Amino acid sequence: MLFPTIDFAIFFAVAFVASWLLNPYPTYWKLAIIALSYFFYSWWDWRFVFLLLAATVIAHFGALGASRRGSAPKSAKASLVLSLAGLLGLLGYFKYAGFFAVNVDNVLHAMGAGRLVPLVQPTLPVAISFFTFMAISYVVDVYRGRIDNARPIDLAVYLCFFPHLIAGPIVRGEELLPQIRHRRDPGEVDFSRAIWMIMAGVFKKVVISSYVSTAIVQPVFSAPHAHSAPEVIFAAWGYAVQIYCDFSGYTDIAIGLALLLGIRFPVNFDSPYTARNLQDFWRRWHMTLSRWLRDYVYIPLGGNRGSDALVVRNIMLTMVLGGLWHGANWTFVIWGALHGSGQVVGHLRRKARVARALPAVADGTLRSTWQRFWTFQFVCLGWVFFNASSFSNATAVLGRLFTGWGTGSPLITPLLVLTIIGVIEAQFIPAGAFERVQRVFSVQRADVQAGLLGLVLLAITTLGPTGVAPFIYYRF
Amino acid sequence: MSWEDPFDDRPRSGVLEAVRRRWDRIVTPAKPPPPPELPPPGPEPRRAGWTRVLGVSLAAFAIWLVLDAPTLQHNAQVSPVGARRTVALDLLGPLAEVSRGLGLSHVVSIADGIIERHGNRPGNGLGTARVTVKPRVTTTPVPKVVLNRHPTATNPLRVLVLGDSLGIDLGDALVDDLSATGVVQATLDGQVSTGLTRPDYFNWPAELAVDLPRYTPQVIVIMIGANDAQDFPGPPDVLFGTPAWDAIYRGRVDAFMTEATSRGAQVIWVGMPPMQDPTLSAAMQRIDGIVRQAVPNHRGVEFLSSWTVLGTPTGQYSPYLVVAGQEVNVREPDGTHITPGGAQVLSSVVEQVIRAHLGVDLNG
Repeated sequence: MLFPTIDFAIFFAVAFVASWLLNPYPTYWKLAIIALSYFFYSWWDWRFVFLLLAATVIAHFGALGASRRGSAPKSAKASLVLSLAGLLGLLGYFKYAGFFAVNVDNVLHAMGAGRLVPLVQPTLPVAISFFTFMAISYVVDVYRGRIDNARPIDLAVYLCFFPHLIAGPIVRGEELLPQIRHRRDPGEVDFSRAIWMIMAGVFKKVVISSYVSTAIVQPVFSAPHAHSAPEVIFAAWGYAVQIYCDFSGYTDIAIGLALLLGIRFPVNFDSPYTARNLQDFWRRWHMTLSRWLRDYVYIPLGGNRGSDALVVRNIMLTMVLGGLWHGANWTFVIWGALHGSGQVVGHLRRKARVARALPAVADGTLRSTWQRFWTFQFVCLGWVFFNASSFSNATAVLGRLFTGWGTGSPLITPLLVLTIIGVIEAQFIPAGAFERVQRVFSVQRADVQAGLLGLVLLAITTLGPTGVAPFIYYRF
Repeated sequence: MSWEDPFDDRPRSGVLEAVRRRWDRIVTPAKPPPPPELPPPGPEPRRAGWTRVLGVSLAAFAIWLVLDAPTLQHNAQVSPVGARRTVALDLLGPLAEVSRGLGLSHVVSIADGIIERHGNRPGNGLGTARVTVKPRVTTTPVPKVVLNRHPTATNPLRVLVLGDSLGIDLGDALVDDLSATGVVQATLDGQVSTGLTRPDYFNWPAELAVDLPRYTPQVIVIMIGANDAQDFPGPPDVLFGTPAWDAIYRGRVDAFMTEATSRGAQVIWVGMPPMQDPTLSAAMQRIDGIVRQAVPNHRGVEFLSSWTVLGTPTGQYSPYLVVAGQEVNVREPDGTHITPGGAQVLSSVVEQVIRAHLGVDLNG
C-alpha cells in the first residue's frame, strides 16, 4: 500500500478516526494502532507480518535481559549479544544471503573448490532494514541505560507504527515511546504543518521524481551507450533530484501523517544539496540514519579515539557498512567507500587547518559557492554507483563522459533543466517562508481550506503520471 | 585483558563522552535540529481539532473526486476485470456524470492541453475522451525498408524494441549492447503493464502504427505477453484458458505481426521465460504456443524462445544460471522479472540472432 494511492487514503481515513476516537483509552488505542499497522504491512505480503512480530519479540526479550545490567551484568551482556545476533541474523538472511552465496561460490569456483554454498533467493521483506535498525537501537539504548525497557505493547507500537514502518525516519525509543505512553491532545492537531508536509511530499514524489526519472535518469542508466556525455551529466544531476524528491517526499508524508495522529517524528532532511562538504552533507541527508550509524557503529568501533589510522578505519568501516545497509550489491559498497574516502580527506584537511590555527572550514561567499558546487558534483558521482545496476553499468555510464561527445542530446529539454535547477535552488529558500504559508493556511475558513486542498490534489494527479512507482527506499 | 564493551557509553572514563563531542562537531550539525517535541522558532500555525481536520480533509477529497471523476472512471475501466473494478465503476459513474454535467472535467482537460498530455499512453490516467489512438499515417507513403546487412556509423542498422516490463528488461540491455557496436541506432518503446489483451488500457497496434514511420526500423524485436494471462472484458467476458480466448489472442498476434512486417522489417518475437509461479508459467507457455503457431504464416518473423535461455536446460525456473563459469542472478526476487544480468544473457542471444540468422555484420 503506497502512500499516494486511493487505497492508502481510505486506510488512513479509517486509521485517523479510530486513533482519535480511541485516544482517551490508551490500551485500546495501542491495540488499534498495532492492528492497523500490521494490516498495512500485510498489504505487501502477509507472511512477513511474522517477521515483524519476531523482531518485536526478540527486541522485547533482549531488552528485558539487557535492562538487568546493574544486577547481572554478564547475563545482560549475553542478552544484548543474543538479541543483536537474532535481529542481524534475520536481516542478514533476507537481505544478504543470495549476494553472499553467489560471491562465495564464484570465489570458490575460481579457486577450483567447486560450488559449495547453496544458492538461495529470499524475497526481501519491505521495511526490514528500518525496523531492524529501530529494534537494535531500542535494545542497545536499554542496555546503555538511556531508556527503560518498555511494556511489550508500547514496544510493538514503537516498531510497527505505520507512518514510519516502511522507510523511516529511523525514530529512537526516547523520541517515540514517551509519545506513545501519553495521550495526544485532540484539540491541538498541527493540521497546517501536517498537510503542508503531506502535499509537498506527494508533489515531490508523484510529479518531480517521476518526471525526472522517466525523462532522463532511467533511459541513460539503462542504456548508457545510447546516450551522449551531456545526457550522462544531466542524468547524474537528475538522479540527485530524483532520489531527493523520492526519499524526502516519503519522509515528509510520513512526518505529516504522524502529525495528523498527534505524533512528532524527527526531521530527516535539511536541504542536503546546500552542503559545503561531505560532513555537512551527512548532517543534512537521511539524518536519522547518520546518527544511527554514529551512535551504534562509529562510536562502538572506537570513534575518534586513537591514531589517525584508527579514525580512518572507523570512518571507512562506518560508511561502507552504511552503504551495504542500502542493498546487497557491490555498487553500494563502492558508494559507501567513496563517501568514506571523502569524509576521511575532509577530516584530515580540517585537522590540518586547525593545527595551523585556521578555521576548520574556509569561509566567504565565493568559497562557499565553490564548496557547494564541488560537494554536489562529488555526491552526484556517488549517486552514479548508487543507482547503477552493477559495477560495469556504473563504469559504462561514467565512460560515456569520455567517449560520448559529439552526438545529439535530445533528452536535455528546457523543462528538464528548469526542473533540476528549480529543485536545487528551492533548497536555499529559508524554512521561514514555508512556515508563513502554513500560518496563512491555518487561519483560513474550513471551506477555503477544503477548496484549496482539493485543487492542490487535482494539480498533483493531473501533473503526475498514471500509477505510482514504489519509493526507491522501499527496496532497502 | 578485558573485552571493551562497544555498547557501553556510560561516562565512567569520560573518554567516550569526549569522542562523542568530537564526532558531533564533525558529523552532527553545529545547530542540531530541534528535538521532535520542540516547536520550531516563530509563531506557530493555528492548531485545529481533529473533527475539523477530518471535515476539511473529507471535503477536499470530495472536491477532488468530483473534479477528477472522469479520469478515475477511465482508470477503473482499464483496470483488470474483477470485483474491485466493478465497485469502482459503480461508485465513479454517477460522480463522473456530475462532473461532466457541471463542466468541471474541463479543468482537467485544459490542464492536459497545457502540458500536451494526449495520445496513446498506458492507462492514460486521463478521461475517457482522452484515449486517443493515434491515427495511422497514410498521407505520406513511406518506402519499404531494406535490411542493412553491412551497417556503418553513418548508415546504421535501425532496430526497434517493443515490449512490456519484461520487454523493457530485455530492451534496456539490448539497446545498450547494440548501441555499443557503434553501427546500430536502437530505440526502445517499452510500456509497463501492457499487452495485447487490453487495448483499452494500451493500444499496441496503434503504437506500432506510429512507431513504424517514426523510426523506420529494419529489425523489430518484440517481447510482449507477461500481462496477457487475463480475461478479455466483455460483455460477455472471454475467460483466459478457453479456446475462444486463444482464437481472439491468435487474431491479435496475427494482426500485430502483419503490421510489424508491413514495411519490410524483420521481426524477432522473443517468447516469455519460465516463471516461479507454476500457474503463471503455464500461462506463459500457452501464450508462447499461440505465438509459435502464428509465426509460420508471416514472412520475416522469427520466434526466439527464452524458455531455456533464462531457465534451466530442462526448462525449469531458476533464479541463478551459470554463465561463462560465473553464477549469475538472472531473475528478480518477484520470480517474474529479469535482472540486468539475466537481460544481458538474453540480449546476447538476440544479438546473435541478428548476426547469424539475419546475416548482419555488426562489427562495423
